[in-house]
Amino acid sequence: MAQNSDKKRVHFWWLLTLVLFYALIQAGISSGLIGGFYENVLMNIGIYIILTVSLHLIIGITGQFSIGHAGFLAIGAYASAIVTMKLDGPFYLAIIVAGVAAILAGIIVGLPTLRLKGDYLAIATLGFGEIVRIVLLNIPYVGGASGMRVSHMTNWTILFVAVVATVWVIYNLTNSAHGRALLAIRDDEVAAESMGVNLTYYKVLAFAIGAFFAGIAGALYAHNFYQINPSNFGFLKSFEILVFVVLGGLGSLSGAILSATFLSIINTLLQSFPDIRMILYSLVLILVMLYRPQGLMGNKEITDIRLFSRKAREVQER
Amino acid sequence: MSTILETKDLSIAFGGLKAVQNVNLYLEHGELVALIGPNGAGKTTVFNMLTGVYVPTSGAIIFDGQRIDGTPPDRLTRLGIARTFQNIRLFHDLTVLDNVRVAYQVNTHHTFIDSIFRLPRFWKEENDMRDASLGLLETMGLRQFAEEKARNLPYGAQRRLEIARALATRPKLLLLDEPAAGMNPQETRELMHTIEHVRKTFDLTVLLIEHDMSLVMGISERIYVLDHGQLIAAGSPAEVRSNPRVIEAYLGEVATDALA
Repeated sequence: MAQNSDKKRVHFWWLLTLVLFYALIQAGISSGLIGGFYENVLMNIGIYIILTVSLHLIIGITGQFSIGHAGFLAIGAYASAIVTMKLDGPFYLAIIVAGVAAILAGIIVGLPTLRLKGDYLAIATLGFGEIVRIVLLNIPYVGGASGMRVSHMTNWTILFVAVVATVWVIYNLTNSAHGRALLAIRDDEVAAESMGVNLTYYKVLAFAIGAFFAGIAGALYAHNFYQINPSNFGFLKSFEILVFVVLGGLGSLSGAILSATFLSIINTLLQSFPDIRMILYSLVLILVMLYRPQGLMGNKEITDIRLFSRKAREVQER
Repeated sequence: MSTILETKDLSIAFGGLKAVQNVNLYLEHGELVALIGPNGAGKTTVFNMLTGVYVPTSGAIIFDGQRIDGTPPDRLTRLGIARTFQNIRLFHDLTVLDNVRVAYQVNTHHTFIDSIFRLPRFWKEENDMRDASLGLLETMGLRQFAEEKARNLPYGAQRRLEIARALATRPKLLLLDEPAAGMNPQETRELMHTIEHVRKTFDLTVLLIEHDMSLVMGISERIYVLDHGQLIAAGSPAEVRSNPRVIEAYLGEVATDALA
């Protein structure tokens, strides 16, 4: 009982913090204190958090080394752009369509690549990402190489809701019987299967949910810039997201969020030095990997540090 | 007494290598049977066929009245067959409690939708799962390690956790693959008591693979002896011990001469 009311109190504080944070930024934007440049930085951070957290589910939790995440991003971006620009549909519908289209792609990638492990899976997913890019490049309906013009529709409210929903869903999934099954697959597939974990089901589940949120990120991404074209979604994009996940610490949700925020900010700050931007960015990556090879958070969560006694309590209060 | 597991002419070949040939064995409900044999005799291969890891080349496996050869491991677990591994295969980065909870979830029915939205069914089954898992850890003397990562456990405790994890699936048949490997005689004796205890508590049928013959003599009701992929003897411990073919398999021909 004590545990339940404790949980409720924690939930309440989380909710309050989120609402306050949202209102503060919203006030800043409407009053003009947060100008177009900073608003754009926020958008970038939010979109990268969604991408990183969704890939974290596939790589960090399920242990499936996938490097085709930009493929799902592209599918979401184009699906949503078709809904809003070609079919004149509303933006929220476009976001849902983007997510669903990406889920289908996730299942299509997930099913045949299930038997692959490690490097082989990486190569297959890399192939998937490239296929998506090349196919888009060759469809005149979506503009081919010149891409599509997209109106700016992504705003702070939609972004905030999407980020919170992503983190919430993936947190809840991870901390459940289903999340434990995914972690078991990461640790030892043979043992997991012997304990009744259906490998096919869970791997496809991880791919589908990860793809869903990447698709949503795609919709937000497309409607944040005025133009999308296939070259936005190349291998380097997939690699960038992978770097965020590894840098945050494989298996750490808060690490994924932190690294997405941290690297997006660094990336933006470095835009003042266009000549040496990529050099400095790479240097940051090398330094982090040298001094924190396990990633920013290792496999720990922020709550492990702040409320380190919580897990112990779970056992004591039986 | 009814037969819970039966194999008929069970065989498997890897390329030209006939690893197991025409093995016929059966287990009555509630029995504790051992499968022994020298290194490389094919014991673990038989196990892997019984648990769905390998598909037999020919022959049949009948569990609880239905043919199960070729059924994938996770389905077999749901039917009621649980196993441990010879070279410990715990989920090393999960806690001891989570190791057991992973296995326990075959008894739950909530979907990932329940989990994501924290619906009532999620809370109910999560609570049941935690209580039942902690109870199992208590039985296996692992309660104090519940929040430790599995990789940090002492060796003997890891072996016990493997059994606890297998029990969490609520099996009818428990397959133990060299559970005493690497244990000292004291630990082995304790383990044998534990096996006896859980067998009675959970009304289990147990098939035990062992390399060391002296160890299974005490607790097994019947023993099958495997050598070069074929059954060479079956019977009570006393019968098996005095069987000349078993002595030959274990000690070699020269030693048989020496004994004679």
